[in-house]
Amino acid sequence: MDLQYLVDSLSLFFQQFVNGLTVGGVYALIAVGYTMVYGVIELINFAHGEIYMLGAFIAYHLVTVYHVPFFAAVVLTVMLCGLFGILLDRAAYRPLRNAPRLAALITAIGASIFLQNVALIKWGAQIRSFPQTSLPSFFGKTAFQAGDVQIGWLQVFMLLVTFVLMLVLHAIINHTRTGTAMRAIAQDKRTAALMGIHVDRIISFTFAIGSSLGAVAGILVGVFYNALWPTMGYTAGVKAFAAAVLGGIGSVPGAMLGGVVLGVAEVFGAGYISSAYRDGIAYAVMILVILFKPSGILGKSTVQKV
Amino acid sequence: MRKFASAATWICLFLGLSSLVWAESDIKLPVASPFTGQLATFGEGVKNGAELKASEINAAGGINGRSIAISLEDELCDPKEATNVATRLAGDQQVSIVIGHLCSSASLAALPIYRKAKLPAISPASTNPQLGKSSPYYFRNVYKDDFQGAFLARYISEALGWKKVAIFFETNDYSMGLKSAFVEEARKQKVRIVGEEAYTSETTDFTPQLSKFRMLRPDAIFIPGYAPQGTLIISQARKLGLNVGFYGADGLDDEIMLGNPDAEGLLVTTPFLPDGAGPEASGFIEAYRKRFGKEPNWFAANTYDAVGIAARAIEKVGTDREKIREYLASMNSPERGYHGITGLTVFDENGDCLKAAFVKTIRKGQWVSAEKQIK
Repeated sequence: MDLQYLVDSLSLFFQQFVNGLTVGGVYALIAVGYTMVYGVIELINFAHGEIYMLGAFIAYHLVTVYHVPFFAAVVLTVMLCGLFGILLDRAAYRPLRNAPRLAALITAIGASIFLQNVALIKWGAQIRSFPQTSLPSFFGKTAFQAGDVQIGWLQVFMLLVTFVLMLVLHAIINHTRTGTAMRAIAQDKRTAALMGIHVDRIISFTFAIGSSLGAVAGILVGVFYNALWPTMGYTAGVKAFAAAVLGGIGSVPGAMLGGVVLGVAEVFGAGYISSAYRDGIAYAVMILVILFKPSGILGKSTVQKV
Repeated sequence: MRKFASAATWICLFLGLSSLVWAESDIKLPVASPFTGQLATFGEGVKNGAELKASEINAAGGINGRSIAISLEDELCDPKEATNVATRLAGDQQVSIVIGHLCSSASLAALPIYRKAKLPAISPASTNPQLGKSSPYYFRNVYKDDFQGAFLARYISEALGWKKVAIFFETNDYSMGLKSAFVEEARKQKVRIVGEEAYTSETTDFTPQLSKFRMLRPDAIFIPGYAPQGTLIISQARKLGLNVGFYGADGLDDEIMLGNPDAEGLLVTTPFLPDGAGPEASGFIEAYRKRFGKEPNWFAANTYDAVGIAARAIEKVGTDREKIREYLASMNSPERGYHGITGLTVFDENGDCLKAAFVKTIRKGQWVSAEKQIK
């Protein structure tokens, strides 16, 4: 009896850990978009959650209306959302590049509300889901089972995709010329421009990368939870933003770590403490970290330039 | 010739005037419900049911020779809008009774206004237990949540033999009211509740709680919440390999469920079943199909009967608000109750009614009546 209990609690722990990693991976994918944009232009892009939502809806639209095969739809969506991120920057943020930061922030909130309503008009308020037949059949299969622990291929796929994308992103930022330029702009925009870096082009590139990752997150969530709706970007966006702050806003590894920490904290909070206060527990963890390390887990504490 | 023309003019004028006079003495019957917005699909049944009953009454000669004119009052299921609508209706002396509201939250907001204006109202759909006892002017021909909860406990124990269940509830009044009524009756039925977990309305990831349920090995999971979250819960449970039964109350009764292949076999309570209704409903179902081209849902059926009750009250005692209230309050025994398409409606001292509940399930993406029903 006692041994059974031990096995049960261990397998529950493991299952919850995988659940937490899955949720956390999604937060990480979105959080990276927040943190990258903040890194280069010090703007909190509140419309980022809406790009995530649009990613899910565009893929849904391609699959259901144009009958595009799932993986092709994913690639197309990611490209479209990347373009969309560039467009958003061009239309809403670039004209305000030298305006007070508050103006750009308000514009970001406006863009978020605008995009939500566009989706509301286009797809309606009700919850939609990808038709089962349009998804690869291995998504529904069990990848791993031991006692009461069961992990589906879809969950494995999500973790794998998140992990690979993070590695790719890390490589882009640290080992390419564009990545070097991005880091240079993050350090000092004006000096970077003086060194011959095409600042606006690099900013566009940053938006494209962040938006593409957000779109991937949107599709994964849409498929995993079997549901997409126009306001889904709001809650996910707030959570991911919290993850970015937790990890240290502006730091890409920090956003990844912050996402995973937040996701796991949330799931363990719901699983072991109280499911009704799940979000409360997640944010309490965030507040505690920020109290002791105001710049976030991996954030550098910089002295405000005067 | 000229004489004839002038005579014709007079006749036309007379007819025209008389029709004006008739129109003025139509009995105005407001129906308050969400007709646009997120819950417009619920309101559609209300609208169709009311219009069908009114046109049948009018075709049969109206109420003492006067026709009923339904006026649709859209309140979006929003308490603020419901307050506006109620205030307007309370001030309109032509209004002697209101059919509405649909959502409990809208009903709770409108109720004090009707009480103050001494305007009786019959709600075809609000199930919050507090409503009836809060006002002598509020009646309803639908059962209450505490009844639904207790009924479900009896149903799963008696009809299905499920003795080990888990509860997954939302942190709001509706869900928690249903849950506590269920738990109370479950105890009497010797049904064991192995786990209780909660979620908030913004939740989209239910896997931590469901993983916990999986370890507890229940026969079924009770979801006393709403369909948008319910459909996610069911799909995520299946992904985790949780092969148990799912059941809930009227909150899960939504078309979203039909689009979810994982929801096959879901059981929900309903006040009305087209394919399980008695012979008294067959005429209604046929007329409804013919006129609207679809199956009537329980909103349509209950509204149809609510309009019938209001019409009978006006027929018996006229359009005085207080007299109508007295008449409705006197419908307290089976002999004085109303025999409608949803069965017998009898009001208790609070204006609530005790009516049968049915159980329906999803088979091949369609709502059908569950195999086993209990009395």
